Formats: sequence, structure tokens, C-alpha cells
Amino acid sequence: MHKRGLAFYARIYRKILIQDLKSKMSYRADFIISTFGMIMTNLSGFITFMILFHNFPTINGWDYYHMLFLYGFSLVALTPVQCFFDNNWNLRFMVQSGDFIKYCFRPVNVFFYFISEVFDVKGLGQLAFGIGTIVYAWIKIGIPVTVIIIAKLLVFLLTASLFMIALMNFAAATCFWIKGSGYVMVIMFRFKDFAKYPSSIFEGIFKIIFTFIIPIAFIAYYPSLVILEPSNVPLLSWISPLYGILFVYLSYRFWMLGVRKYDFTGS
Amino acid sequence: MSEYSGNEAVIMKNVCKDFKVLNRHEGLKGSIKDLFSRDYKTVSAVRDVTLTVNRGEIIGYLGPNGAGKSTTIKMMTGVLEPTSGELLVNGKVPYKNRTENCENIGVVFGQRSQLWWSLPLIESFKLLRDLYMVPEKDYEGMIELYRSLVDIEPILHKPVREMSLGQRTLSDILAAFLHNPAIVFLDEPTIGLDVSMKAKIRELILGLNKEKNTTVILTTHDMGDVDALCRRIVIIDKGTKIYDNDIEHLKNYFGSYRTLKLKRSDDTWEEYLIDEKTTDVMDVIMEKQKSMKIKDVKIDEISTEEVIKKIYEGSAK
Ligand SMILES: Nc1ncnc2c1ncn2[C@@H]1O[C@H](COP(=O)(O)OP(=O)(O)O)[C@@H](O)[C@H]1O
Ligand SMILES: [Mg+2]
Repeated sequence: MHKRGLAFYARIYRKILIQDLKSKMSYRADFIISTFGMIMTNLSGFITFMILFHNFPTINGWDYYHMLFLYGFSLVALTPVQCFFDNNWNLRFMVQSGDFIKYCFRPVNVFFYFISEVFDVKGLGQLAFGIGTIVYAWIKIGIPVTVIIIAKLLVFLLTASLFMIALMNFAAATCFWIKGSGYVMVIMFRFKDFAKYPSSIFEGIFKIIFTFIIPIAFIAYYPSLVILEPSNVPLLSWISPLYGILFVYLSYRFWMLGVRKYDFTGS
Repeated sequence: MSEYSGNEAVIMKNVCKDFKVLNRHEGLKGSIKDLFSRDYKTVSAVRDVTLTVNRGEIIGYLGPNGAGKSTTIKMMTGVLEPTSGELLVNGKVPYKNRTENCENIGVVFGQRSQLWWSLPLIESFKLLRDLYMVPEKDYEGMIELYRSLVDIEPILHKPVREMSLGQRTLSDILAAFLHNPAIVFLDEPTIGLDVSMKAKIRELILGLNKEKNTTVILTTHDMGDVDALCRRIVIIDKGTKIYDNDIEHLKNYFGSYRTLKLKRSDDTWEEYLIDEKTTDVMDVIMEKQKSMKIKDVKIDEISTEEVIKKIYEGSAK
């Protein structure tokens, strides 16, 4: 039996990605329309945000530009789940129709093979908007530009992205057990909208839920504190990278357990 | 199991597969209820099947709808675990070694493409070559072999989503053989195809089996497939194996049966299946002549289709 390591998977992913992009561009009209739609979606989200928050000088001690930073941070942190893990949205249809079985006939990891099939270009627009917003807020707040701070930003953006990936893996994999898993996905996906607000607006039981059980507070709030309030970083922010890795790992195991338990209905 | 000698592609010993089917409820609330529900019924899809398939064989795995054919194949490919019994594919337990098993098998489920939907076939081939880590020389050799067996030029640069059903099935079969697997499973590959595509596909399968000595396990409802490809057939019904032997043996068994064809005055044919042991063909013709005008008479051997039908009927009794 062939050994298939990380290098193998990276190479395969790159090749699938290149082919996928090539074929997407060959359908030019589709490509242009979806690019346009992506810009409009992001623009309208951004304008809504401006209107909502421009007249609020502070929320729990956060001023407008801090909020803007958080908003940009969450946009960037949500890019990987959008770009690389979008096929999770198709999982329940494939499981119900029986088409899912095709992912189990290849000598590679089923999760990888399934996820590698779709790369969603729309996420890239979000990434551009997010970066623009972060840069703008960064300048307005007057955060110094040093290698250390930028390195921290990258590490904690990456960390933040892990949580939404994990949440969507969990939500998608419920379809192996329950029929109405569409609701679960939509609810989880809606939760991400809360990520744009400082977690201090959550109180009591909600704070515990959104920190530990459905950890959306990690999608932007805790990781961004490292940049926004460097003198007063809570412990939760520092442990968020480890917690993120653990959470993704657990979601992966849960997903694979679903494949194992699923009995492949449909002839 | 000790009896694996290296020559058996598949060994099944008393294999059973039960499904626990939940009586499901609708909606979100119903789904949550289902999580904790114990409201099950058991469906026995495969019951106590024992079967050995040797390397290089093409066997027809037949049976009416719901007989358990696809379930058997799903167990052999390692996606389903047998409820009980022993199953070895290429000498290994498939469910415990899914990825390893997948290196040595190819699978086609009719009407369900496994290729990248938007990619031209040749790009799918190249990705599969990389996934299975096929050496470049072997890959080139296989493509050459394909060219010699079937005209692949018209489909090679076509995205799968733009293909006809026939072209897609052809592509899937080619893809299943690409890494030169020891066994290929074909589950109703010719379903919904026209006559010429069926002929093309049969020729291809036969050619690949001859050239590469690939074991082929084929399920089909088309007796034309069986006649063209299989020397041995295995029949299951309601999960139980009811026949396993050479197709010739089966025809001899029904050797006294004849298909009597009578041509009516409007040039259409009427068919009767007659067992010569119990009924005289001439008597039937005389009898029929009383009520209709017969323009022509033909007497044929029993067709495979009718043999299989007889067996199903026999087991239903
Ligand atoms: N995943 C499953 N869950 C419950 N019942 C199943 C499942 N798969 C198959 N069955 C049942 O098992 C029997 C055999 O099905 P199958 O193997 O698909 O038959 P065939 O391929 O011969 O038509 C049928 O009664 C079918 O309804
Ligand atoms: Mg079937």
C-alpha cells in the first residue's frame, strides 16, 4: 500500500484547485456574474454596518473604529471556511440522495476528498473587503506597525478562522444522524453574525455558551483583543490557538464518525 | 481466515447484513426526537451468503430489485460492515482497511458519476492517476489500451457535465479500470443506455478483462449483458443465495424448455414458454390454430431472460 502523507495531500489539493479554477473561468458569464454578486453582497454588508454604528460613539467602551476593526477581523477570519469548506453545505443533499458514497471509493481520506471538491471563489471578495477594513481601522486607531504585531495579527486571524471551520463541520455532520440537519447548518451560520460584536455584550449564561460550547466569541472577539488591547489580554485569548486546533480536530473526528456510522441509503 | 490462497478475489462466508431502520419523524423537532428514539425495525438485506470469486472471473450477480445486490457490493468495497460472517477482498477485510482496499478495486454505480463534474475527462484521469499514484508508464499504457478498445477521442476533452448518459457511463468505467485494480464492481452499468452503447460497453469490459485479467463483479437486469459477459452467474433473492453455477449448466437444467413463437396474421409474434417434458409443442400449435390464423412458427431454446425468470418464480414459491 502506498503511503500518503501531508505532501501528497497538498499536491493533490493544488492540482484539483487549479483544474477547478480553470474550468470556472471557462464559463465566463457565470464567473463575471458571481464576482459582481460577491462585491454587492460585501458592499451592502459594509454599508449596513456603517449606518448602524456610525452614530454610536461607544459600545461597552469600544469606539467606532474598534468595532470596524472587529468587523474586518471577522470577515477575514470567515474567509477560509467560505473558500475551502463550502462543500459542507452540499453534504446533507448528497447523504440523502446516496451520492455521498462516491467519496468512499478512493484510497484517500474521505473528509479531504469531499472538501477538496469545491473551492468557492466568492470568499476572496470577502477577504479583500476584510483586509481593507482592518487596514483602515488600524490606521484610524493608530496601532503601531511592527513585525511583532503583524505576526500576532496573522497568527490570531488564523486561530479565529479555525472556530468557524469547526462549527460548520459539526453542523454539517449532523446530517449523518438526523434528517432536519439543514436547520442546524443555517442556525450555526447565522451565529457568525454575532462574531462581529464585542463579546462583552453577552452576559451570564450566553457568555458561557458562546465562549465554550458554540465558541463564536473566538471568531473575532478574543483573538482581536491581542491587537486591540495589548495591555489587557485575557487568558482566553492566549489559549485560543490551542483551543481552535482542538476544536477543529474534534469536529473532524465527529464528521468521520458520521461517515462510519452512516449506512449508505439509496441504491 | 486461513483458506485465502492468493487466487481468490473475494471470499464470503456466511455473510449477513441487517439494517436498523428508524421510523423517522418530520421537521426539526422530529429530528431531535429521532436522536433518542428506539423505534427501530430490522431489515435483513443479505442473509448468510457464502461465495468465492476467483481472479479473472466475470460473474453476473443477479436478482430482482431489493434482493441485496448493492448491499453486497457495498460490503465488498468496504463502506459497509457485515453484521456477521467473514468477508475477504484481495485477502483483506475491506471495512477494516478501507483505503488500502480502495487501491485495488474499481467501482461503478450506474447513473451515478464519480468523476469531477466540471472537468474534461482527461483532467479527471490525470487527477485519478495522482490519487492512485499510478506510475506514468502504466498510465500511458492504459490510455493506449483504451484507445485500442474504444473510440475515446470524442469524450476525452469533454467536461463530464456536458456528456450524454452513455458517454458518462463509458467514462466512469474507463476511470474504474485506470489504476489497473484487481477487481472491478459494476452495479447496473448499462441501465438506461441505448443498444449501441450497451454493445460498446460490453466489448470494452470483455477486452479489459482479457487484457488485464481483472475480476469483474457485475449486477444487471439486462440478460444481454449476462450473455455477452458472464460464464458464471450467482442469483440472490431476498438476501439469500439461490443459485451459483455456470450459465451453461443453468441452460441445460432448463434444457427441455422451448420458446414457441407464432406469427399472427397482422405480422406480430406471440410467445409461449413450453416444457417439452410435460407438454407437446405440436399440441399447443394445433390448439392455437383453432382460434387464430398462424402465418409462421419458430421454436427457440429458452433465453437467459426466461431462465432467470423461472428461477425467481421458483424461489418465490
Ligand atoms: N441503508 C439502508 N437502510 C435500510 N435499508 C436498506 C439500506 N440499503 C438497502 N436496504 C434494503 O435492503 C434491501 C436490499 O437492498 P439493495 O442491496 O439495494 O438491493 P438491490 O441492489 O439488489 O436492488 C432492500 O430491501 C432495501 O430496501
Ligand atoms: Mg441495487
